[in-house]
Amino acid sequence: MKYAQLVIGPAGSGKSTYCAAIQKHGESTERFVQVVNLDPASEVFNYKCAFDVRDLISIDDLADDEDETLSTMGPNGSLVFCMEYIANNIEELEQAIDAAEDDYYLFDCPGQIELYSHMNVMRTIVDALKSWDFNICAVFLLDSQFMVDVDKFMAGALTALSTLMVLECPAVCVLTKMDLLKSEDRERVEHMLNSEMSTLLNENPPSAFSSAYRKLSEKIASVMDSYSMVSFQPLDLQEEESISDLLLNIDNAIQYGEDADVKDKFPEEVDPEDDTGEW
Amino acid sequence: MADSSKPEPKRPAVLGNTVTRDQPPVVLVLGMAGSGKSSFVQALTAHLHKSRNFPYVINLDPAVRKVIFPANIDIRDTVDYKKVMHDYQLGPNGAIMTCLNLCCTRLQEMIGLVKKRSTEFPVCLIDAPGQIEAFTWSASGSIITDSFASTFPTVIAYVVDSARSTNPTTFMSNMLYACSILYRMKLPFFLVLNKSDIVDPAFLEKWMKDYEELGTSIEDARDAYINNLTHSLSLVLDEFYSTMTTVKVSSRTSEGMEDVMAAIEKCKEEYFEKYQPAFNELLKERLEKDVQQASDMLDKVNVTERNPQVVEEEEAMEDE
Repeated sequence: MKYAQLVIGPAGSGKSTYCAAIQKHGESTERFVQVVNLDPASEVFNYKCAFDVRDLISIDDLADDEDETLSTMGPNGSLVFCMEYIANNIEELEQAIDAAEDDYYLFDCPGQIELYSHMNVMRTIVDALKSWDFNICAVFLLDSQFMVDVDKFMAGALTALSTLMVLECPAVCVLTKMDLLKSEDRERVEHMLNSEMSTLLNENPPSAFSSAYRKLSEKIASVMDSYSMVSFQPLDLQEEESISDLLLNIDNAIQYGEDADVKDKFPEEVDPEDDTGEW
Repeated sequence: MADSSKPEPKRPAVLGNTVTRDQPPVVLVLGMAGSGKSSFVQALTAHLHKSRNFPYVINLDPAVRKVIFPANIDIRDTVDYKKVMHDYQLGPNGAIMTCLNLCCTRLQEMIGLVKKRSTEFPVCLIDAPGQIEAFTWSASGSIITDSFASTFPTVIAYVVDSARSTNPTTFMSNMLYACSILYRMKLPFFLVLNKSDIVDPAFLEKWMKDYEELGTSIEDARDAYINNLTHSLSLVLDEFYSTMTTVKVSSRTSEGMEDVMAAIEKCKEEYFEKYQPAFNELLKERLEKDVQQASDMLDKVNVTERNPQVVEEEEAMEDE
């Protein structure tokens, strides 16, 4: 088995930063994490890239293309073109990644929702990864500063769902940038993470909006309470503990380390006759 | 502190103005990339032009190459997408975000322009950027929406591509996204089933009315866990549809544009019934918080008398 995290989330949710942090964390915990950039329009990132999809095709390649329909495409059209190219040439990706048994990969994916819901490209990539013997967990990142009240929290969960229901693989939702929240907001978010959604709804002070959509909110809350797919995990990259807690959850989802060999940490046996006490 | 009581907020509306019914509605056109937002705006504009009822149109997409409708305000006059990309060394996504952020700094002027003309047009249409998350999951997107919503009765038109939604999973995912926008923006909302000339959106309406039908369409090729989830989700969406106004349109044949105008009027009424009270509450809360903060800060400011001799000694010590 090979293991992979598919790192997804809207632009600016901190996907690349997350990848860099996990890679660094892996270095100190004896886990070799390789990162693959799957976003043809990505910018600067500070992780060590095992393979960059921009070597295969990038937005800039299109801009320089002789064919005028390609070079004058808008940002969205060219992204779709690139992703479709990758999906159609998936063997090239397999060769480029060249994963061995027990390897651990992170895939830094593009965030555009259309690639998941309207087009088959991301699903094709996920299915291909599965067929290459990967155990995959989708990691959906959302910026915690957009989640500071109950309604926005629900909006976030729905956004995550609209992407994850297409991929059909185990998933973990993560609230990033917890360290940037103001302390009162942080308390509120932590309270929401630790409570059932339906209880939160009752705590929320009634307003014209909440009474108009009362029934809808209740139904969303019941889905969020009964499916762990949309339960969020806080992540504070400043704290190693927060990272290892999250990794533990993801490892559970992809069964990482369950069939690993037992590592014998004792020093090799020393022949007592050789041991004369002198060095 | 002689007087510990909170100072009363004397100015009732510092952040916004009272929105009145004689103001024209502002329609924010949202939808996934390629759903036909711009074409929809164009068709609606053309329809209104026919009856010489000229709308006010704003283009907020910095990355669009050609605006296909007569725009009164074009964000591309304010910011240059290509230049932003080059100057700040940004990729396409970052550049769209930065353009919107830059636009926010001039937002009051933009709203001022619209307000000045507000007696002359029946409706103001705003075409949002193609990358939907650049608008829905960014700070600038909510600043723009909130600012308009505090000045005009603002409603959201969510454009759905009927032709692409023939796949039930796509449709469901799209609707969940729409629902998440409703919760994030908290504004009156109506669905526009676009491209009815290519596919008759009747099947979508059928799915909306009968969630079991949608459920069975999805269930065929899926495993049990996802089936369970989609079933629960279709129950959620069933409730969502029952509260939503839906219109079928074709931007090509401009079929259904009268229905759109009716939907806008209906949503405008909703704005005054449900949203304005909620908005005023929020405004009041924020104002009280501001006043509280200001008075807290005032408490910290005290006039103290200094002894000139001590000050001299301190300064001498610092010099050492």
